[in-house]
Amino acid sequence: MSSFLTDLLELPFLFNAVLAGVLCSIAGGIVGTFVVLRRITYIAAAIAHCILGGLGAARYLSVVYGLEWLRPIYGAILTALLSALIIGIISLRAKEREDTVISALWAVGMAAGVLFIFKTPGYGEDLMSYLFGNILMVSSQDLWLIGILDIILLVITTIFYRQIIAVCFDEEFARTRGLSVEFYYLLVLCMTALTVVLMVSAVGIIMVIAMLTLPVAIGCKLFKRVSKIMISATGLGIFFNVFGLMASYEPNLPSGALTIIIAGLTYFATVLFFMFKKTKIRNKIN
Amino acid sequence: MSEESILKFSNVNFAYEAERTILENINFEIPRGDFACIVGPNGGGKTTILKLILGLIKPVNGTIEIFGKKPDEIREKVGYVPQFSKFDSGFPVSVLDVVLMGCLSKSFWWGRHSKKQIEMALTALDDVGLGGFEHNSFADLSGGQRQRAMIARAIMAEPELLLLDEPTASVDVKGTEQLYNMFAEMNKKFTIIIVSHDIGFVSAHVKTVICVRKTLQIHPVSELTGESLQKLYGPEVHIVRHDHRCSEKGHVCHHS
Repeated sequence: MSSFLTDLLELPFLFNAVLAGVLCSIAGGIVGTFVVLRRITYIAAAIAHCILGGLGAARYLSVVYGLEWLRPIYGAILTALLSALIIGIISLRAKEREDTVISALWAVGMAAGVLFIFKTPGYGEDLMSYLFGNILMVSSQDLWLIGILDIILLVITTIFYRQIIAVCFDEEFARTRGLSVEFYYLLVLCMTALTVVLMVSAVGIIMVIAMLTLPVAIGCKLFKRVSKIMISATGLGIFFNVFGLMASYEPNLPSGALTIIIAGLTYFATVLFFMFKKTKIRNKIN
Repeated sequence: MSEESILKFSNVNFAYEAERTILENINFEIPRGDFACIVGPNGGGKTTILKLILGLIKPVNGTIEIFGKKPDEIREKVGYVPQFSKFDSGFPVSVLDVVLMGCLSKSFWWGRHSKKQIEMALTALDDVGLGGFEHNSFADLSGGQRQRAMIARAIMAEPELLLLDEPTASVDVKGTEQLYNMFAEMNKKFTIIIVSHDIGFVSAHVKTVICVRKTLQIHPVSELTGESLQKLYGPEVHIVRHDHRCSEKGHVCHHS
Protein backbone atom coordinates (compact mmCIF):
# COMPACT_ATOMS: atom_id res chain seq x y z
CA MET A 1 0.00 0.00 0.00
CA SER A 2 2.89 2.34 0.78
CA SER A 3 4.40 1.66 -2.63
CA PHE A 4 1.07 2.65 -4.15
CA LEU A 5 1.29 6.06 -2.53
CA THR A 6 4.90 6.72 -3.54
CA ASP A 7 4.26 5.47 -7.07
CA LEU A 8 1.14 7.63 -7.28
CA LEU A 9 3.28 10.75 -7.27
CA GLU A 10 5.92 9.35 -9.60
CA LEU A 11 3.97 7.39 -12.19
CA PRO A 12 1.60 9.52 -14.26
CA PHE A 13 -0.48 6.53 -15.38
CA LEU A 14 -1.31 5.74 -11.78
CA PHE A 15 -2.27 9.33 -11.12
CA ASN A 16 -4.42 9.31 -14.25
CA ALA A 17 -6.13 6.14 -13.06
CA VAL A 18 -7.06 7.69 -9.72
CA LEU A 19 -8.30 10.83 -11.43
CA ALA A 20 -10.36 8.76 -13.88
CA GLY A 21 -11.89 6.88 -10.96
CA VAL A 22 -12.86 10.15 -9.28
CA LEU A 23 -14.29 11.72 -12.45
CA CYS A 24 -16.39 8.73 -13.44
CA SER A 25 -17.68 8.40 -9.88
CA ILE A 26 -19.12 11.92 -10.08
CA ALA A 27 -21.11 11.07 -13.21
CA GLY A 28 -21.98 7.67 -11.78
CA GLY A 29 -23.32 9.05 -8.50
CA ILE A 30 -25.61 11.52 -10.23
CA VAL A 31 -26.81 9.58 -13.25
CA GLY A 32 -26.82 6.27 -11.38
CA THR A 33 -29.39 7.79 -9.00
CA PHE A 34 -31.66 8.65 -11.93
CA VAL A 35 -31.19 5.13 -13.32
CA VAL A 36 -32.12 3.48 -10.03
CA LEU A 37 -35.09 5.78 -9.34
CA ARG A 38 -36.46 5.44 -12.87
CA ARG A 39 -35.82 1.66 -12.71
CA ILE A 40 -33.93 1.40 -15.97
CA THR A 41 -30.87 -0.58 -14.85
CA TYR A 42 -31.69 -3.21 -17.44
CA ILE A 43 -31.69 -0.62 -20.20
CA ALA A 44 -28.42 0.84 -18.87
CA ALA A 45 -26.85 -2.63 -19.02
CA ALA A 46 -28.04 -3.05 -22.61
CA ILE A 47 -26.50 0.29 -23.61
CA ALA A 48 -23.23 -0.73 -21.94
CA HIS A 49 -23.03 -3.94 -23.95
CA CYS A 50 -23.91 -2.21 -27.23
CA ILE A 51 -20.83 -0.06 -26.70
CA LEU A 52 -18.59 -2.98 -27.62
CA GLY A 53 -19.81 -2.63 -31.21
CA GLY A 54 -18.74 1.02 -31.27
CA LEU A 55 -15.40 0.40 -29.59
CA GLY A 56 -14.65 -2.44 -31.98
CA ALA A 57 -15.74 -0.54 -35.09
CA ALA A 58 -13.71 2.56 -34.21
CA ARG A 59 -10.61 0.48 -33.43
CA TYR A 60 -11.01 -1.47 -36.67
CA LEU A 61 -11.40 1.66 -38.80
CA SER A 62 -8.48 3.39 -37.13
CA VAL A 63 -6.12 0.41 -37.60
CA VAL A 64 -7.22 -0.78 -41.03
CA TYR A 65 -7.73 2.62 -42.66
CA GLY A 66 -5.07 4.43 -40.69
CA LEU A 67 -7.52 6.93 -39.14
CA GLU A 68 -5.37 7.72 -36.15
CA TRP A 69 -7.64 10.46 -34.85
CA LEU A 70 -10.46 7.96 -34.48
CA ARG A 71 -10.10 6.77 -30.91
CA PRO A 72 -12.20 3.82 -29.68
CA ILE A 73 -13.90 6.04 -27.09
CA TYR A 74 -15.42 8.16 -29.90
CA GLY A 75 -17.01 5.05 -31.33
CA ALA A 76 -18.21 4.20 -27.84
CA ILE A 77 -19.86 7.60 -27.36
CA LEU A 78 -21.59 7.41 -30.73
CA THR A 79 -22.90 3.87 -30.26
CA ALA A 80 -23.97 4.55 -26.68
CA LEU A 81 -26.06 7.58 -27.67
CA LEU A 82 -27.45 5.79 -30.71
CA SER A 83 -28.44 2.68 -28.78
CA ALA A 84 -29.92 4.84 -25.99
CA LEU A 85 -32.16 6.61 -28.49
CA ILE A 86 -33.16 3.40 -30.28
CA ILE A 87 -33.94 1.58 -27.03
CA GLY A 88 -35.70 4.65 -25.63
CA ILE A 89 -37.94 5.08 -28.64
CA ILE A 90 -38.73 1.35 -28.72
CA SER A 91 -39.68 1.29 -25.05
CA LEU A 92 -41.84 4.42 -25.46
CA ARG A 93 -43.64 3.03 -28.51
CA ALA A 94 -43.95 -0.67 -27.79
CA LYS A 95 -45.20 -1.03 -24.24
CA GLU A 96 -45.12 -4.80 -24.44
CA ARG A 97 -42.20 -7.08 -25.20
CA GLU A 98 -39.70 -4.25 -24.88
CA ASP A 99 -37.39 -6.51 -22.89
CA THR A 100 -37.15 -8.89 -25.84
CA VAL A 101 -36.11 -6.12 -28.21
CA ILE A 102 -33.65 -4.68 -25.69
CA SER A 103 -32.05 -8.08 -25.13
CA ALA A 104 -31.69 -8.55 -28.89
CA LEU A 105 -29.98 -5.17 -29.31
CA TRP A 106 -27.73 -5.99 -26.36
CA ALA A 107 -26.50 -9.18 -28.05
CA VAL A 108 -26.29 -7.72 -31.57
CA GLY A 109 -24.15 -4.83 -30.30
CA MET A 110 -21.74 -7.24 -28.65
CA ALA A 111 -21.66 -9.54 -31.65
CA ALA A 112 -20.73 -6.64 -33.95
CA GLY A 113 -17.96 -5.71 -31.52
CA VAL A 114 -16.55 -9.23 -31.41
CA LEU A 115 -16.49 -9.41 -35.23
CA PHE A 116 -14.71 -6.07 -35.58
CA ILE A 117 -12.14 -6.99 -32.95
CA PHE A 118 -11.58 -10.36 -34.62
CA LYS A 119 -10.91 -8.68 -37.99
CA THR A 120 -8.63 -5.99 -36.53
CA PRO A 121 -4.95 -6.85 -37.07
CA GLY A 122 -2.83 -7.00 -33.95
CA TYR A 123 -3.30 -8.48 -30.53
CA GLY A 124 -6.69 -9.47 -29.26
CA GLU A 125 -6.09 -8.10 -25.81
CA ASP A 126 -8.22 -5.05 -26.58
CA LEU A 127 -11.27 -7.22 -26.11
CA MET A 128 -10.27 -8.08 -22.56
CA SER A 129 -9.68 -4.48 -21.57
CA TYR A 130 -13.02 -3.41 -23.08
CA LEU A 131 -14.90 -6.16 -21.31
CA PHE A 132 -13.20 -5.98 -17.93
CA GLY A 133 -11.75 -2.48 -17.97
CA ASN A 134 -8.21 -1.36 -17.41
CA ILE A 135 -8.11 1.88 -15.54
CA LEU A 136 -4.30 1.94 -15.69
CA MET A 137 -4.52 2.39 -19.48
CA VAL A 138 -6.48 5.67 -19.28
CA SER A 139 -4.52 8.31 -21.18
CA SER A 140 -4.50 12.02 -20.43
CA GLN A 141 -6.47 12.50 -23.66
CA ASP A 142 -9.14 10.17 -22.26
CA LEU A 143 -9.10 12.14 -19.04
CA TRP A 144 -9.89 15.36 -20.85
CA LEU A 145 -12.80 13.72 -22.60
CA ILE A 146 -14.06 12.21 -19.33
CA GLY A 147 -13.79 15.64 -17.68
CA ILE A 148 -15.75 17.34 -20.46
CA LEU A 149 -18.47 14.68 -20.39
CA ASP A 150 -18.65 15.11 -16.61
CA ILE A 151 -19.21 18.84 -17.01
CA ILE A 152 -21.91 18.28 -19.66
CA LEU A 153 -23.72 15.86 -17.34
CA LEU A 154 -23.46 18.25 -14.39
CA VAL A 155 -24.85 21.15 -16.43
CA ILE A 156 -27.79 19.10 -17.74
CA THR A 157 -28.52 17.89 -14.20
CA THR A 158 -28.55 21.39 -12.70
CA ILE A 159 -30.86 22.65 -15.43
CA PHE A 160 -33.36 19.80 -15.40
CA TYR A 161 -32.97 18.37 -11.89
CA ARG A 162 -36.53 19.02 -10.65
CA GLN A 163 -38.16 17.99 -13.89
CA ILE A 164 -36.23 14.72 -14.08
CA ILE A 165 -37.09 13.89 -10.46
CA ALA A 166 -40.76 14.73 -11.06
CA VAL A 167 -40.86 12.48 -14.12
CA CYS A 168 -39.15 9.64 -12.21
CA PHE A 169 -41.59 10.03 -9.31
CA ASP A 170 -44.86 10.29 -11.22
CA GLU A 171 -44.75 10.30 -14.97
CA GLU A 172 -48.47 10.79 -15.50
CA PHE A 173 -48.73 13.76 -13.15
CA ALA A 174 -45.67 15.37 -14.77
CA ARG A 175 -47.49 15.03 -18.08
CA THR A 176 -50.52 16.85 -16.68
CA ARG A 177 -48.19 19.71 -15.72
CA GLY A 178 -47.23 20.04 -19.36
CA LEU A 179 -43.81 18.36 -19.17
CA SER A 180 -42.70 16.39 -22.19
CA VAL A 181 -42.16 13.09 -20.42
CA GLU A 182 -40.72 11.50 -23.57
CA PHE A 183 -38.04 14.20 -23.79
CA TYR A 184 -36.92 13.69 -20.20
CA TYR A 185 -36.94 9.92 -20.58
CA LEU A 186 -34.68 10.11 -23.64
CA LEU A 187 -32.53 12.72 -21.89
CA VAL A 188 -31.97 10.42 -18.91
CA LEU A 189 -31.14 7.57 -21.29
CA CYS A 190 -28.59 9.70 -23.16
CA MET A 191 -27.05 10.81 -19.86
CA THR A 192 -26.90 7.14 -18.87
CA ALA A 193 -25.19 6.35 -22.18
CA LEU A 194 -22.48 8.98 -21.59
CA THR A 195 -21.95 7.82 -18.01
CA VAL A 196 -21.62 4.23 -19.12
CA VAL A 197 -18.92 5.27 -21.62
CA LEU A 198 -16.97 6.99 -18.82
CA MET A 199 -17.21 3.99 -16.57
CA VAL A 200 -16.28 1.42 -19.17
CA SER A 201 -12.69 2.69 -19.04
CA ALA A 202 -12.58 1.99 -15.32
CA VAL A 203 -14.43 -1.27 -14.82
CA GLY A 204 -15.28 -2.49 -18.32
CA ILE A 205 -18.52 -3.24 -20.09
CA ILE A 206 -19.57 -6.26 -18.08
CA MET A 207 -19.19 -4.70 -14.65
CA VAL A 208 -20.31 -1.17 -15.45
CA ILE A 209 -23.85 -1.78 -14.27
CA ALA A 210 -22.64 -2.73 -10.80
CA MET A 211 -20.64 0.50 -10.54
CA LEU A 212 -23.65 2.49 -11.70
CA THR A 213 -26.10 0.97 -9.23
CA LEU A 214 -24.26 -0.36 -6.15
CA PRO A 215 -23.15 3.01 -4.72
CA VAL A 216 -26.66 4.38 -5.31
CA ALA A 217 -28.26 1.31 -3.73
CA ILE A 218 -26.11 1.86 -0.62
CA GLY A 219 -26.96 5.58 -0.68
CA CYS A 220 -30.69 4.73 -0.81
CA LYS A 221 -30.27 2.68 2.39
CA LEU A 222 -28.57 5.56 4.17
CA PHE A 223 -30.49 8.63 3.02
CA LYS A 224 -34.01 9.63 2.05
CA ARG A 225 -33.32 12.63 -0.20
CA VAL A 226 -32.32 12.43 -3.84
CA SER A 227 -29.54 15.02 -3.48
CA LYS A 228 -28.02 13.25 -0.47
CA ILE A 229 -28.15 9.91 -2.29
CA MET A 230 -26.31 11.48 -5.24
CA ILE A 231 -23.58 12.92 -3.04
CA SER A 232 -23.14 9.75 -0.98
CA ALA A 233 -23.11 7.60 -4.12
CA THR A 234 -20.41 9.81 -5.62
CA GLY A 235 -18.35 9.57 -2.45
CA LEU A 236 -18.77 5.81 -2.27
CA GLY A 237 -17.90 5.47 -5.95
CA ILE A 238 -14.66 7.37 -5.43
CA PHE A 239 -13.86 5.25 -2.39
CA PHE A 240 -14.52 1.96 -4.22
CA ASN A 241 -12.48 2.99 -7.25
CA VAL A 242 -9.49 4.27 -5.32
CA PHE A 243 -9.57 1.47 -2.78
CA GLY A 244 -9.92 -1.12 -5.53
CA LEU A 245 -6.97 0.37 -7.34
CA MET A 246 -4.83 0.46 -4.21
CA ALA A 247 -5.72 -3.07 -3.15
CA SER A 248 -5.05 -4.47 -6.62
CA TYR A 249 -1.79 -2.62 -7.19
CA GLU A 250 0.77 -4.64 -5.28
CA PRO A 251 -0.65 -8.14 -5.74
CA ASN A 252 -1.15 -7.18 -9.41
CA LEU A 253 -4.84 -8.13 -9.59
CA PRO A 254 -7.36 -6.75 -12.11
CA SER A 255 -8.47 -3.50 -10.47
CA GLY A 256 -11.95 -3.36 -12.06
CA ALA A 257 -12.95 -6.74 -10.67
CA LEU A 258 -11.57 -5.93 -7.23
CA THR A 259 -13.43 -2.59 -7.22
CA ILE A 260 -16.70 -4.37 -7.95
CA ILE A 261 -16.06 -7.00 -5.26
CA ILE A 262 -15.45 -4.26 -2.68
CA ALA A 263 -18.60 -2.38 -3.77
CA GLY A 264 -20.66 -5.58 -3.70
CA LEU A 265 -19.43 -6.61 -0.26
CA THR A 266 -20.15 -3.13 1.09
CA TYR A 267 -23.65 -3.30 -0.36
CA PHE A 268 -24.42 -6.67 1.20
CA ALA A 269 -22.96 -5.53 4.51
CA THR A 270 -25.24 -2.47 4.43
CA VAL A 271 -28.30 -4.56 3.63
CA LEU A 272 -27.49 -7.00 6.43
CA PHE A 273 -26.88 -4.16 8.86
CA PHE A 274 -30.27 -2.61 8.18
CA MET A 275 -32.00 -6.00 8.30
CA PHE A 276 -30.40 -6.64 11.68
CA LYS A 277 -31.39 -3.20 12.92
CA LYS A 278 -34.99 -3.73 11.80
CA THR A 279 -35.36 -7.08 13.57
CA LYS A 280 -33.83 -5.57 16.68
CA ILE A 281 -36.44 -2.81 16.69
CA ARG A 282 -39.21 -5.34 16.01
CA ASN A 283 -38.03 -7.53 18.90
CA LYS A 284 -38.05 -4.52 21.17
CA ILE A 285 -41.66 -3.74 20.25
CA ASN A 286 -42.71 -7.34 20.86
CA MET B 1 -71.51 26.07 -23.57
CA SER B 2 -73.79 27.60 -20.99
CA GLU B 3 -72.24 30.17 -18.77
CA GLU B 4 -72.12 28.33 -15.51
CA SER B 5 -70.82 25.01 -16.84
CA ILE B 6 -67.04 24.70 -16.84
CA LEU B 7 -66.71 21.22 -18.38
CA LYS B 8 -68.62 19.88 -21.33
CA PHE B 9 -68.40 16.52 -23.11
CA SER B 10 -70.22 16.45 -26.46
CA ASN B 11 -70.73 13.12 -28.25
CA VAL B 12 -67.38 11.78 -27.02
CA ASN B 13 -66.30 8.31 -28.11
CA PHE B 14 -63.10 6.63 -27.03
CA ALA B 15 -61.38 3.34 -27.82
CA TYR B 16 -57.78 2.21 -27.27
CA GLU B 17 -58.18 -0.30 -30.09
CA ALA B 18 -60.65 -0.03 -32.93
CA GLU B 19 -62.86 -2.95 -31.92
CA ARG B 20 -62.88 -2.30 -28.17
CA THR B 21 -64.98 0.75 -27.35
CA ILE B 22 -64.38 2.11 -23.86
CA LEU B 23 -66.71 5.10 -23.96
CA GLU B 24 -69.69 5.56 -26.24
CA ASN B 25 -71.48 8.80 -26.99
CA ILE B 26 -70.70 10.58 -23.72
CA ASN B 27 -72.56 13.83 -23.09
CA PHE B 28 -72.47 15.74 -19.84
CA GLU B 29 -71.79 19.13 -18.32
CA ILE B 30 -70.35 20.04 -14.97
CA PRO B 31 -71.39 23.40 -13.51
CA ARG B 32 -68.96 25.61 -11.59
CA GLY B 33 -68.88 24.68 -7.91
CA ASP B 34 -70.15 21.15 -8.48
CA PHE B 35 -68.99 18.17 -6.43
CA ALA B 36 -69.42 15.28 -8.84
CA CYS B 37 -68.64 11.63 -8.31
CA ILE B 38 -68.01 9.32 -11.26
CA VAL B 39 -69.00 5.76 -10.32
CA GLY B 40 -69.05 2.55 -12.29
CA PRO B 41 -67.66 -0.97 -12.47
CA ASN B 42 -63.95 -1.66 -13.05
CA GLY B 43 -63.12 -1.26 -16.71
CA GLY B 44 -66.26 0.83 -17.20
CA GLY B 45 -64.30 3.88 -18.33
CA LYS B 46 -64.16 6.06 -15.19
CA THR B 47 -60.43 6.68 -15.26
CA THR B 48 -60.60 7.10 -19.05
CA ILE B 49 -62.93 10.07 -18.54
CA LEU B 50 -60.41 11.63 -16.13
CA LYS B 51 -57.59 11.07 -18.63
CA LEU B 52 -59.67 12.71 -21.34
CA ILE B 53 -60.30 15.73 -19.10
CA LEU B 54 -56.56 15.93 -18.37
CA GLY B 55 -55.73 15.79 -22.06
CA LEU B 56 -53.55 12.70 -21.56
CA ILE B 57 -55.56 10.94 -24.25
CA LYS B 58 -57.67 12.34 -27.07
CA PRO B 59 -61.23 11.30 -27.94
CA VAL B 60 -61.73 9.30 -31.14
CA ASN B 61 -64.51 11.72 -31.96
CA GLY B 62 -66.59 14.32 -30.18
CA THR B 63 -65.31 17.37 -28.29
CA ILE B 64 -64.32 18.17 -24.74
CA GLU B 65 -64.31 21.75 -23.52
CA ILE B 66 -62.91 22.94 -20.20
CA PHE B 67 -63.42 26.61 -19.45
CA GLY B 68 -64.20 26.91 -23.15
CA LYS B 69 -60.83 25.48 -24.23
CA LYS B 70 -59.31 22.16 -25.24
CA PRO B 71 -57.98 20.03 -22.35
CA ASP B 72 -54.29 20.33 -23.27
CA GLU B 73 -54.52 24.13 -23.50
CA ILE B 74 -55.80 24.64 -20.00
CA ARG B 75 -53.72 22.30 -17.85
CA GLU B 76 -52.83 24.87 -15.21
CA LYS B 77 -56.51 25.20 -14.21
CA VAL B 78 -56.90 21.47 -13.59
CA GLY B 79 -55.42 19.77 -10.52
CA TYR B 80 -55.05 15.99 -10.52
CA VAL B 81 -54.67 13.40 -7.75
CA PRO B 82 -53.79 10.02 -9.30
CA GLN B 83 -54.64 6.63 -7.91
CA PHE B 84 -52.75 5.97 -4.74
CA SER B 85 -51.35 2.56 -5.60
CA LYS B 86 -49.24 3.94 -8.44
CA PHE B 87 -46.40 5.27 -6.32
CA ASP B 88 -43.07 3.94 -5.30
CA SER B 89 -43.65 4.61 -1.61
CA GLY B 90 -39.92 4.54 -0.87
CA PHE B 91 -39.04 7.34 -3.30
CA PRO B 92 -36.44 9.54 -1.57
CA VAL B 93 -38.08 12.98 -1.50
CA SER B 94 -39.38 15.28 1.21
CA VAL B 95 -43.07 16.14 1.52
CA LEU B 96 -42.32 19.68 0.37
CA ASP B 97 -40.49 18.35 -2.72
CA VAL B 98 -43.57 16.34 -3.64
CA VAL B 99 -45.94 19.29 -3.22
CA LEU B 100 -43.64 21.57 -5.24
CA MET B 101 -43.96 19.17 -8.17
CA GLY B 102 -47.39 20.75 -8.56
CA CYS B 103 -45.88 23.85 -10.14
CA LEU B 104 -43.54 22.38 -12.73
CA SER B 105 -43.98 23.87 -16.13
CA LYS B 106 -42.16 24.25 -19.39
CA SER B 107 -40.96 27.77 -18.67
CA PHE B 108 -39.41 26.83 -15.39
CA TRP B 109 -35.62 26.30 -15.42
CA TRP B 110 -32.68 25.99 -13.08
CA GLY B 111 -34.54 23.90 -10.57
CA ARG B 112 -35.01 26.62 -7.96
CA HIS B 113 -38.41 27.49 -6.59
CA SER B 114 -39.42 31.05 -5.84
CA LYS B 115 -40.38 32.10 -2.32
CA LYS B 116 -43.93 32.49 -3.52
CA GLN B 117 -44.07 28.92 -4.81
CA ILE B 118 -42.77 27.59 -1.50
CA GLU B 119 -45.36 29.68 0.36
CA MET B 120 -48.10 28.30 -1.88
CA ALA B 121 -46.88 24.77 -1.20
CA LEU B 122 -46.89 25.36 2.57
CA THR B 123 -50.41 26.79 2.40
CA ALA B 124 -51.57 23.74 0.47
CA LEU B 125 -50.04 21.48 3.12
CA ASP B 126 -51.90 23.44 5.81
CA ASP B 127 -55.13 23.03 3.85
CA VAL B 128 -54.81 19.25 3.83
CA GLY B 129 -53.85 19.07 7.49
CA LEU B 130 -50.17 18.34 6.93
CA GLY B 131 -48.82 21.65 8.20
CA GLY B 132 -45.43 21.08 9.85
CA PHE B 133 -44.74 17.91 7.86
CA GLU B 134 -42.96 19.68 5.00
CA HIS B 135 -39.47 18.46 5.93
CA ASN B 136 -40.55 14.91 6.70
CA SER B 137 -39.60 12.20 4.29
CA PHE B 138 -42.44 11.22 1.96
CA ALA B 139 -41.54 7.56 2.54
CA ASP B 140 -42.13 7.92 6.29
CA LEU B 141 -45.72 9.14 5.97
CA SER B 142 -48.69 6.86 6.61
CA GLY B 143 -50.92 5.89 3.69
CA GLY B 144 -53.52 8.52 4.53
CA GLN B 145 -50.88 11.23 4.96
CA ARG B 146 -49.33 10.37 1.61
CA GLN B 147 -52.75 10.68 0.01
CA ARG B 148 -53.08 14.13 1.57
CA ALA B 149 -49.65 15.13 0.28
CA MET B 150 -50.82 14.17 -3.22
CA ILE B 151 -53.89 16.35 -2.77
CA ALA B 152 -51.67 19.24 -1.63
CA ARG B 153 -49.57 18.76 -4.77
CA ALA B 154 -52.71 19.03 -6.88
CA ILE B 155 -54.11 22.16 -5.19
CA MET B 156 -50.85 24.09 -4.64
CA ALA B 157 -51.00 25.71 -8.07
CA GLU B 158 -54.56 26.87 -7.27
CA PRO B 159 -56.53 25.09 -9.97
CA GLU B 160 -60.23 25.70 -10.54
CA LEU B 161 -61.13 22.09 -11.21
CA LEU B 162 -59.84 19.27 -9.01
CA LEU B 163 -59.85 15.65 -10.24
CA LEU B 164 -59.31 12.76 -7.83
CA ASP B 165 -58.97 9.14 -8.91
CA GLU B 166 -60.23 6.80 -6.15
CA PRO B 167 -58.91 8.98 -3.31
CA THR B 168 -60.37 6.74 -0.61
CA ALA B 169 -59.35 3.35 -2.02
CA SER B 170 -56.75 2.69 0.68
CA VAL B 171 -58.34 4.62 3.54
CA ASP B 172 -60.57 3.22 6.32
CA VAL B 173 -64.15 4.37 6.97
CA LYS B 174 -63.16 7.08 9.43
CA GLY B 175 -60.38 8.33 7.16
CA THR B 176 -62.83 8.39 4.25
CA GLU B 177 -65.21 10.53 6.24
CA GLN B 178 -62.42 12.94 7.15
CA LEU B 179 -61.26 13.13 3.55
CA TYR B 180 -64.78 13.89 2.30
CA ASN B 181 -65.20 16.59 4.93
CA MET B 182 -61.97 18.10 3.63
CA PHE B 183 -63.21 17.86 0.03
CA ALA B 184 -66.45 19.58 1.06
CA GLU B 185 -64.35 22.41 2.49
CA MET B 186 -62.28 22.60 -0.72
CA ASN B 187 -65.47 22.52 -2.76
CA LYS B 188 -66.06 26.10 -1.62
CA LYS B 189 -63.03 27.06 -3.73
CA PHE B 190 -62.85 24.43 -6.48
CA THR B 191 -65.17 22.38 -8.62
CA ILE B 192 -64.44 18.75 -7.72
CA ILE B 193 -64.77 15.52 -9.69
CA ILE B 194 -64.04 12.26 -7.88
CA VAL B 195 -63.83 8.75 -9.31
CA SER B 196 -65.11 5.99 -7.05
CA HIS B 197 -65.39 2.24 -7.51
CA ASP B 198 -68.25 2.07 -4.99
CA ILE B 199 -71.35 1.92 -7.17
CA GLY B 200 -73.96 1.85 -4.48
CA PHE B 201 -73.06 4.57 -2.04
CA VAL B 202 -71.41 7.98 -2.11
CA SER B 203 -70.61 10.59 0.49
CA ALA B 204 -73.46 12.92 1.46
CA HIS B 205 -71.30 15.82 0.31
CA VAL B 206 -71.51 14.71 -3.33
CA LYS B 207 -73.93 16.78 -5.40
CA THR B 208 -73.96 14.91 -8.71
CA VAL B 209 -73.39 11.25 -9.45
CA ILE B 210 -72.21 10.23 -12.91
CA CYS B 211 -72.48 6.55 -13.73
CA VAL B 212 -70.17 5.26 -16.43
CA ARG B 213 -70.33 1.86 -18.01
CA LYS B 214 -69.32 2.50 -21.59
CA THR B 215 -72.30 4.89 -21.75
CA LEU B 216 -73.04 7.55 -19.20
CA GLN B 217 -75.99 8.39 -16.97
CA ILE B 218 -76.47 10.99 -14.34
CA HIS B 219 -78.24 9.80 -11.22
CA PRO B 220 -79.59 11.56 -8.17
CA VAL B 221 -78.71 10.43 -4.67
CA SER B 222 -80.96 9.96 -1.69
CA GLU B 223 -80.46 9.44 2.01
CA LEU B 224 -80.20 5.93 3.31
CA THR B 225 -83.48 4.72 4.69
CA GLY B 226 -82.98 1.24 6.05
CA GLU B 227 -81.74 1.26 9.61
CA SER B 228 -79.27 -1.55 9.02
CA LEU B 229 -77.77 0.24 6.03
CA GLN B 230 -77.44 3.41 8.10
CA LYS B 231 -75.66 1.44 10.76
CA LEU B 232 -73.32 -0.04 8.19
CA TYR B 233 -72.41 3.10 6.30
CA GLY B 234 -73.27 5.86 8.79
CA PRO B 235 -75.24 9.06 8.17
CA GLU B 236 -72.42 10.50 6.04
CA VAL B 237 -73.32 8.30 3.08
CA HIS B 238 -76.05 8.59 0.46
CA ILE B 239 -77.42 5.87 -1.80
CA VAL B 240 -77.13 6.23 -5.57
CA ARG B 241 -80.50 6.05 -7.34
CA HIS B 242 -79.64 3.97 -10.37
CA ASP B 243 -83.38 3.72 -11.01
CA HIS B 244 -83.67 7.41 -11.78
CA ARG B 245 -82.06 9.47 -14.57
CA CYS B 246 -81.29 13.16 -14.55
CA SER B 247 -80.79 15.49 -17.48
CA GLU B 248 -77.39 15.86 -19.10
CA LYS B 249 -76.97 19.19 -17.36
CA GLY B 250 -76.56 17.27 -14.16
CA HIS B 251 -78.47 17.13 -11.00
CA VAL B 252 -78.06 19.20 -7.92
CA CYS B 253 -79.34 17.35 -4.93
CA HIS B 254 -80.84 19.43 -2.15
CA HIS B 255 -80.52 17.64 1.12
CA SER B 256 -83.25 18.33 3.58
